[in-house]
Amino acid sequence: MDSPSSENLFTFLSYSLANFQAAFFRIPGSAVLTRYVKSSHQDDPGRTLLEVILALFVIRTLLQSRTRTDRSGGKHFIQFSDKEIDDLVDEWTPEPLDPPLTEQQEADLAAIPVIAGPTGPKPKLMNTGKPCVNLASLNFAGLAGNEHIQQRAIETMRKYGVGSCGPSGFYGTIDVHTELEQRISDFLGTESSVLYAQGFSTICSVIPAFCKRSDIIIADRGVNFAIQKGLQISRSTIRWYDHNDLSSLESVLESVAKEMKRRRSQKHARKFIVTEGLFEQDGAMVDLPKLVELKEKYKFRLILDETLSFGSIGRTGRGLTELYNVPAARVDMIIGSLAIGLCSSGGFCAGSLTATSHQRHNALSFVFSASLPALLAVSALEGINLLVNTPSILNNLQENVRAARAILDRLDCVTIPSHSASPVIHIHLKTNSTSLHPSTAVVSTKPSNPSSVLPRDAANWTWDAETEEQILQEVVEDALAQGVLITKAKRLRGQELVDPRPSIRLALTSALSKKDTEKAVGVVRSSLIKVLGKRR
Amino acid sequence: MPASARSSPMAINLSPSHSMFKKSRGKSSSSQSPSDAASYLSAVSQADARSRASSNGKFSSTSTPALSLSSSVTSSSEDTVLRTGEDESNHDGLAFPATPPTSEQVFTTVHTEFGHCSNEGYRYTSQHMASEPIEAIHERDPPYYILLSTYVSYLILICLGHVRDFIGKRLKAKAYRELRPHSGYAPLTSDFDSFYTRRLKQRMAECFNQPVTGVAGRTIMLVDRTSDDQNASYRLLGTRTRVLNISSYNYLGFAQGKGGCADAVEEGIRRYGVSTCGSRLEGGSSDLHTTAEALVAKFVGKEDAIIASMGFATNSTMIPALVGKGCLIISDELNHASIRFGVRLSGASVRMFKHNDMKALEALLREVISQGQPRTHRPWKKILLIVEGLYSMEGTMVNLPEVIKLKQRYKFNLFIDEAHSIGALGPNGRGVVDYFGIDPKHVDILMGTFTKSFGAAGGYIAGSKTLISHLRLRSHSGPYAEAMTPPVLVQILASMASIMGVSPASLTSSSHTTLRPVASNESSQALMTSHPGPAPASMIPNWMTLPPALSDGSEGKNRLRRLAFNARYLHRGLDKLGFITYGHPSSPIVPLLLFNPGKMCMFHRMMLRRKTPIIVVVVAYPATPLVTSRVRFCVSASHTKEDIDIVLRACDEVGDWLDLKHGIPAAERWTVQKITERSGELVHPSA
Repeated sequence: MDSPSSENLFTFLSYSLANFQAAFFRIPGSAVLTRYVKSSHQDDPGRTLLEVILALFVIRTLLQSRTRTDRSGGKHFIQFSDKEIDDLVDEWTPEPLDPPLTEQQEADLAAIPVIAGPTGPKPKLMNTGKPCVNLASLNFAGLAGNEHIQQRAIETMRKYGVGSCGPSGFYGTIDVHTELEQRISDFLGTESSVLYAQGFSTICSVIPAFCKRSDIIIADRGVNFAIQKGLQISRSTIRWYDHNDLSSLESVLESVAKEMKRRRSQKHARKFIVTEGLFEQDGAMVDLPKLVELKEKYKFRLILDETLSFGSIGRTGRGLTELYNVPAARVDMIIGSLAIGLCSSGGFCAGSLTATSHQRHNALSFVFSASLPALLAVSALEGINLLVNTPSILNNLQENVRAARAILDRLDCVTIPSHSASPVIHIHLKTNSTSLHPSTAVVSTKPSNPSSVLPRDAANWTWDAETEEQILQEVVEDALAQGVLITKAKRLRGQELVDPRPSIRLALTSALSKKDTEKAVGVVRSSLIKVLGKRR
Repeated sequence: MPASARSSPMAINLSPSHSMFKKSRGKSSSSQSPSDAASYLSAVSQADARSRASSNGKFSSTSTPALSLSSSVTSSSEDTVLRTGEDESNHDGLAFPATPPTSEQVFTTVHTEFGHCSNEGYRYTSQHMASEPIEAIHERDPPYYILLSTYVSYLILICLGHVRDFIGKRLKAKAYRELRPHSGYAPLTSDFDSFYTRRLKQRMAECFNQPVTGVAGRTIMLVDRTSDDQNASYRLLGTRTRVLNISSYNYLGFAQGKGGCADAVEEGIRRYGVSTCGSRLEGGSSDLHTTAEALVAKFVGKEDAIIASMGFATNSTMIPALVGKGCLIISDELNHASIRFGVRLSGASVRMFKHNDMKALEALLREVISQGQPRTHRPWKKILLIVEGLYSMEGTMVNLPEVIKLKQRYKFNLFIDEAHSIGALGPNGRGVVDYFGIDPKHVDILMGTFTKSFGAAGGYIAGSKTLISHLRLRSHSGPYAEAMTPPVLVQILASMASIMGVSPASLTSSSHTTLRPVASNESSQALMTSHPGPAPASMIPNWMTLPPALSDGSEGKNRLRRLAFNARYLHRGLDKLGFITYGHPSSPIVPLLLFNPGKMCMFHRMMLRRKTPIIVVVVAYPATPLVTSRVRFCVSASHTKEDIDIVLRACDEVGDWLDLKHGIPAAERWTVQKITERSGELVHPSA
């Protein structure tokens, strides 16, 4: 039974072998190959074996999937039968995507202020239906509701429609974008600038566009959330220095420079310092001349986030470069927001032409996003014109800031980490024990570890975020009951690298008169005293 | 739906009371010179006489022989038909419609923004047909010589680039200064990283970042430019060219500077200003946000929705709030960059599966659920499948029925990015869910953008009330990103309401009980039963008065049907001409394969230099695989059938020149003439 079939098989095999041989010899050059194999086998049979193994290995490598490590078959892979898999699938119960809200979350949601109608210095609230004085919205220069800007926005909408309907690369570059980019770079004094469609997404994309895995970034410990996310995406080596402490920066720069000298592989690494002009977290302001001096000394590039300071600091709102009289060209990249300083929407990065044109090809949220609506670009443009033509706007703002600080600084139940010229005023509760929060400028003896985002004295922080949030919320509600809209600085607790201390954030505006500001801040002050007095 | 029910929605004669902004509109159009109107009228009458002489049977139903001059100038027709303030001739065939309007038809749109087309034959309903395969249409391969020459082209480009770099660095050190370390600074961009940009993309830079002006509607104005230094810099010529725009994401044609939506936006700016100054949680929320979010939720058929001010940021800031460590994201390999960005920020594990391959997806699901988390083998906390409704580079549609089946078996959560499909697909414009007739409750998270179909900006995420509440508090957008601006919100409200149609609140409840007697005891269920119904008048701001054609939903329906026709017509037309196209025939995104990199620039240039200039988007590596460079057309409801004819004719000629027709054998191809004449046959699936 068996033998004929095996015989058949052998005939078939020998037949196909002969066929294969004939076909092989028909290929030009095959004779040369055979001769080579034959002679080499004669010289050294071991070599043939080695070559065969080598050839098999090459074939195996080529056939293997390139992403083998994350595919099945890894070291920890367990083989299951189909039945077992079915059982496991039946067994698996995922966590719900939408777990019920906690009481606190419900309360937080209900407490979100919603403005009915246009925003401005004295808007009407949805929740209460009553008008209030607005110290919550970011309207530093008072451009919200400006008639001229509105008129220009309407004209632009009539000419361009609302949406740009495409990313910049694909017919989304509108002439008003180019005009605004030109205007921003003229305004700041940089070579060029590039527009983004959202302020928050600007720096998240700028950082990873330049900083790659092998690069080095030195960042402030108190940088805002957008920068944190940009740093996360970049995957660069990150070193931290103490919040707004330039001597700490210098020591970190020193150590990084030493380290780089030691390691030859890092010789060509790009080196960046990333920090904010006016910190979103607490309103502190960086000493720009010193910072620029340091970065030039150690040959680092500086990415300065002026999201809050652009349009609010300096005589005409150029930001820190104007305040400290540092030429903007000495800062490598300035990031600003059109949404905050100019009451429009979008963001920009200003810097050298090389830097901006690189972003046009490589910054993710520039390349893959529809460009800014034309009417918003024109509104921003008009905002800059207003700031330039009426320096009194920011003068008024500074007067209001001074008036507010005069009232708040005398209060001894709170501390204010913000810079005295900052139009954003953060109010921290004062803890009974001496606080070791870096913003209170208590210098610990030992420097912090630069590779950890936590400062040295983090373990000694005594404040309890939850209670403080609650107390501050009471203050907010009390102030609102008296007709002043303020807000806590809203945070994503647990998602920030280091949870900043809870604070109340006042945003002053030049649209309010000095008297109104004093009155409103007075209300905040009395609410603070009332709520904190009750607590003790 | 029978076409006769709304025989000629565009022809509804507007009563003078339709617009409360009549005055302002009159003001804006007053700059128009009378000579324009006169010359146009004569053109209209001549063309009308011609069409009567030729007595084209096709138009007999709509064209009336009596065209009196006085009747065509009535009401707002003159300022809507003509471009205001621009002295324009019709030499390119873009300024005025080929078929002149008759006395019966009063178009409410500017022809250059939204083309006039009253022929009810050029309509189609975007809906899944049982006869049509859901699987992606098999991708046809080009002849080998095309593939070979493509590879050789890239090889030459790369070699040449390296040679030029090598010589340039030595002879023209100054020009290469930015690429080498200078005065102690490492180069900002390494020459390896920027090689592609400098040596390949730079060569065809004229195809990208072209400055434009005006509305990105049916046509757009190019700001002409030229380069004297091989695309390193550009010089503006000071002239402008009107071109046919088949590139913008303007699916429903709501990119308009005139019309009901624009009037509403104007009123919105007057009432709300330009900005709400701040983030949503810190005093930047206004009642407009609340209204818009409720309407979006109603539109897509979910309980609640949250709006973000940028489409990209919708994904990149909200996905991290949905999943985190210990969760798994399963992502289609061709998902958009914003999804990848969000996924990377979330800290969740990621696995990818082959584009739209349901078998691969199921195999992957079985593997990941059975294996659990890597190393620890603990079960995943959540598994989130992220797919796109319509893929922006391929034109493929997700195989949703199959995904839903898998979802029921494997219990994962489903996130559909409808950035391109919302508004553009489905008989009611509700996206891919609507296209396949699937109840939106089967999808956990519906994400979409307003940039495309709604002519606005930004994006949304819709889901259950609790989920959205979590996102409000936990997404990065809430506390840190600027809120959406009022003009954009009003544009969304107005365009969405006109797609849905607005019904007086009392009327809806009665009509629903009569139409669909479904017992509903819960409010969410009631919402589901009325989906996809019209928007109750209480859901749009009371100051927003849309013209009747918009508020009764007839124009919205009409736009949807025009888009569906145009999409299928162009897609099937290109196929019949012999081109290789990708994607679903109903997709408004139509990619046409070019392969050779050299043909991209040529195609772009040849389309632009025609008598009726056409702008196209050419895409290549890294947005697509290296070999499959392509042209991507984005069809719009604002295109008329004649516009698509123009595109087809242009493609036919350019395709012959560039040797692009490799799809079907020559014998099976149709001529352009045949295609334009038998468009109906092509569009309907029986053809």
